[in-house]
Amino acid sequence: MRSRTGSALLVALLCALPASAQDEAEVAASVDAEEVAIDGTVTLQISVTTASKGEAPDLELPPLRDFDIVSRSQSEQVSFQFVGNQPTFRRTTVYSIALTPRRTGKAVIEAARVRYRGRRYQTQPIVVRVLPPGRGTPPPRRQQPDEPVPGSPFGSLFGDDDPFRGARPGARDLLLRASVDRERPYVGQQITYTLWLLSRVNVSGIDKLQLPRLDAFWTEEIEAPQQLVGESRVIDGVSYRAYMLRRRALFPLRAGKVAVDAAEVEVLTGFGMLFSRSSARRASQKLTIEVLPLPPGKPPGFDAGNVGQWELSASAEPTTAAVGQAITFRLQVSGKGNVRDVQAPRLPAVPGLRAYDATSTDKNQVDRGQVGGTRSVEQLLVPERSGQFVIPALAMETFDPVAGAYKTLRTQPFSITVRAGAAAVGAAGPSAASPQNLLSAGGMRPIRLKLTRVEAGAPPWTEPWFWPAMALGPFAALIAAGILRARRAIDRDAAGRRVRGAARAARRRLREAESLLRNGAKAPAFYAGIAHALTQYLADKQGVAASGLTREELAAALTARGHSLAVVQRLATALDECDRARFAPGASEPAAQKALLDRADRLLAELDRGRKEAA
Amino acid sequence: MIGALLAAAAQLFDDGNAAHLAGDPARAVAAYEAVLAEGIRSPELETNLGAAYLRQGRRGLAALHFERALALAPGDDDARADLNEVRRTNVDKLEGAEEQGPAEILIRVLAPLPGGPAAFALLGAWSLLWALVALMALRPASLAGAPLGALAIGCLVLSALGGAVVAGSAAARAIAARRAVVVAAAAPAREGPTAKSASTFEVHEGTAVSIEDAAAGFARIKLANGLTGWVEAGALERVVPEGWGWRG
Repeated sequence: MRSRTGSALLVALLCALPASAQDEAEVAASVDAEEVAIDGTVTLQISVTTASKGEAPDLELPPLRDFDIVSRSQSEQVSFQFVGNQPTFRRTTVYSIALTPRRTGKAVIEAARVRYRGRRYQTQPIVVRVLPPGRGTPPPRRQQPDEPVPGSPFGSLFGDDDPFRGARPGARDLLLRASVDRERPYVGQQITYTLWLLSRVNVSGIDKLQLPRLDAFWTEEIEAPQQLVGESRVIDGVSYRAYMLRRRALFPLRAGKVAVDAAEVEVLTGFGMLFSRSSARRASQKLTIEVLPLPPGKPPGFDAGNVGQWELSASAEPTTAAVGQAITFRLQVSGKGNVRDVQAPRLPAVPGLRAYDATSTDKNQVDRGQVGGTRSVEQLLVPERSGQFVIPALAMETFDPVAGAYKTLRTQPFSITVRAGAAAVGAAGPSAASPQNLLSAGGMRPIRLKLTRVEAGAPPWTEPWFWPAMALGPFAALIAAGILRARRAIDRDAAGRRVRGAARAARRRLREAESLLRNGAKAPAFYAGIAHALTQYLADKQGVAASGLTREELAAALTARGHSLAVVQRLATALDECDRARFAPGASEPAAQKALLDRADRLLAELDRGRKEAA
Repeated sequence: MIGALLAAAAQLFDDGNAAHLAGDPARAVAAYEAVLAEGIRSPELETNLGAAYLRQGRRGLAALHFERALALAPGDDDARADLNEVRRTNVDKLEGAEEQGPAEILIRVLAPLPGGPAAFALLGAWSLLWALVALMALRPASLAGAPLGALAIGCLVLSALGGAVVAGSAAARAIAARRAVVVAAAAPAREGPTAKSASTFEVHEGTAVSIEDAAAGFARIKLANGLTGWVEAGALERVVPEGWGWRG
């Protein structure tokens, strides 16, 4: 019956009566722990052994002033023995009572009393030390009557990693319990995180399940039940329904202590709509996981993702092909571990086989809570020439966390036979007999043997002379334009100057003619001076070449320029008078000459005024 | 003196080739690097050096020298084929970008343009254009009836073509001057130019990047798909080294 060490057994045997054994009863009481936390439970077992026949013993439980009864159960067994060559059947009744203390300190389980065939028996009181919450020695695990037997699916699920180990539900009806199957995993090794709900009341549903943040892990969902399916569990002698709420695989990403916060859940209790329903919020306990670094001695080329129990295989299909025919090279890494993180080895270049980019596909699977899968890497190889090609052995360095050792996985080298390719069927008909050589582009080019030297220096436009030289053309054109403009300005000024100075020049000429008159020069010279002054004025100022025009033409030209007819006629008269005097000289009165000089002066003034008015 | 230098460089180059063909890439690399140290710039030398590095498994340096060969001779078909072969096995595959980014396509189109001759053609046509303009303005009697206008239009067209080629070549050189290759096996790209900054992604050897900025021993890189981060400058090698006296 007792299966553990360290437990306290206090047995009280009363009334060792020397009478017939058939009439005797044996009464014993024991507890499974001498110390218990205020939030824990202690199990009191009272066994009463009597004759198998006859009246049943009458047990009177102790008053239990320091304890509350959490649960109680009863079992019986019948044994056979010879007493004085007489076969005797004995019946043992075991009463298991789970107690939770009411106060800390020394607590007493009073004596239990048994009445059998008119006799009284009683056990001795048992003293139990009650400690503050969380301090008690966990009671030793014992086989419970309704606990799954080893080998059952439920039992094998827990195995040696009982998720309820250390759980102390006490008098609580609902308890959320988080567990991991391994508390000291290696980096990259799977641990399974499971969340359980223990209940002594009816659970109609759960709501708002909140898992803790699992940033330090690569996580993979294993199980997330859509319906609550409970299993019976007895914890500290108390019968519970255990509901598995979540199960996840965690792959630690780095070494060190990792704290996993509490999960929380809202639990709906009661029976449907008709009976009282209530909800309660529960939080699990926090967990601490010590992630171990991978041991020293990593082999060269080891990738940190290759933690697990892996197998490596390589194949090619087909292994006999024609030149240019695609061959599929397939590499498979399969086993247990985080397949998404596995690094498969690369196929090195095989001369003569053109390799295309590899494609990778992952297939995950969960086998009895263990995450694993297969990573398949496929690569197309196209032979570029005929012959025998060897796909070399590929090696993959891994770490097996179960064995705690590094392992090198290797594939076997194998050959591929490539024959000359069959020619395509052309327009001329089938020509399968003629070989075909596939000359596909690509691959590394051969090295070059001739060295040519180039200058990598600055191009012309970065030289300091380039942009000033570019500006030279526009600059020269600007200068030419300036010269042209200046020349035109100069030409334009000469004509203007002549116009502006025409009146002054004409008067100067009249003064010269007047000086001729004073000096007693001959009359023709005087008249020629007067005529020259007038005609040159007309040429400069009016733009009329009077000397080449008839008097009518001259009159028309001047009237066209806005001069009055009277002025024009006086001008014509003056010119006619000059002509007559020059070409038919005769007696010429100085007074007439003086008068002509005055008229010429006035004419110049009138012509000048008339032009301004016309302008 | 220069002739002797070239003869010595040619001898080293031949030694490197012999070592490469004999399956001794380490010796080939040493010989080719010695030629480089002599100041010789040659697309063949860079291509062969890239091939030797590739045989050693140093894919980042192989890609770097193929890129340098293309910078020296943008039309070098062998260098481009080898570079594509190295890139095919690059660890980094850029999502959201073609195999060749816009910058690379631009370089590929513009870089082979004869920028130097085009610059001289531009200068000549431009100067002649303005001379013709000046002559047309002055109209000397001796050139009466000469087709100055037609000649000026021809020079203008030639100048435009030369200018376009020069601009394209200059743009390609500017892009090439910012270009670099990851030569470290792997380098984390961070949010800032410090080792304490968070790493947003990682680049691996052989990947071409554009250096946008530099600070405190870090370079701000941009990938062809626009991904940007700060990488330790030692993990990169510029395609156009400072020793080339390259100006854009």
